[in-house]
Amino acid sequence: MPAWGLKLGSLLTTVLVLAGSYGYASAHIKNPDAPLQPPVADKPPPAAAPAAATPTPIASLVGTRRGNPPRSSATPAPILNLQPGVQATALPAVTFTHVS
Amino acid sequence: MDPQLFFWIAARATGLAAYVALCIAVLSGIALRTSVLDWLAKNRAMRALHDWTTWLWIPLGAFHVLALLLDKTAQIALVDVLVPFRVDYGPLAIGLGTLSLDLLAIITITSWLRRRMNDELWRWIHRTSYVMFVALFLHAFLSGTDFNAPLVSALSWSTAGGIALLGVSRMVLGRLPE
Repeated sequence: MPAWGLKLGSLLTTVLVLAGSYGYASAHIKNPDAPLQPPVADKPPPAAAPAAATPTPIASLVGTRRGNPPRSSATPAPILNLQPGVQATALPAVTFTHVS
Repeated sequence: MDPQLFFWIAARATGLAAYVALCIAVLSGIALRTSVLDWLAKNRAMRALHDWTTWLWIPLGAFHVLALLLDKTAQIALVDVLVPFRVDYGPLAIGLGTLSLDLLAIITITSWLRRRMNDELWRWIHRTSYVMFVALFLHAFLSGTDFNAPLVSALSWSTAGGIALLGVSRMVLGRLPE
């Protein structure tokens, strides 16, 4: 066989192996049985956990019209659950609860 | 495709292809001093093939190393490419690859400088090709992610076995008969 035939044969063999192994590796990205398992990089510290929603007791909504003090009620004041990021404010309420 | 994924796949593919190219290089080198492949081609053609394979495995081996350097999961540093047995999670498996790379560099450079060298010295350096190939095979066996795939395993073991048989025969018997 001439030299060019040997060269061509070696080139084709190598390219065939390269293409075949690229296809195989693409189809089998992870091999759990691989002899080497590099350690995974350290995980970043967890981000600050969002503040848990805490029930915030509010003053009774009953009898606040015209600045009257809230009347005592047999039922306890309702508990308002605020979602994270929602904050209570000291501003006067913009709605009234009418009691007839 | 994610670049990190590409580096990982390319490192595996070029590693296997470089191994095959080096098998052809070693086999054609042994054939030059024996007559086992006389049925295939004359010595001049075999010598041309032996020299030609350099241009096959150098780019493949270089890309294999480069892809592993760029792959963050592999965690290979530049110094690990030159100094063997330094990588924490696989010092022997990866170190053998570094060792074979170092030997390949010495063998190739001295071959390019052969005319300026003492012939006997060059011959002894060139004989370390056998050591290089053993280190390369063990590197593939101990660290190759795809080595346990049936086709890859069959290809690797059969070529390594054939080269080992020819190499031992060459050392024990000298020039092999036709």
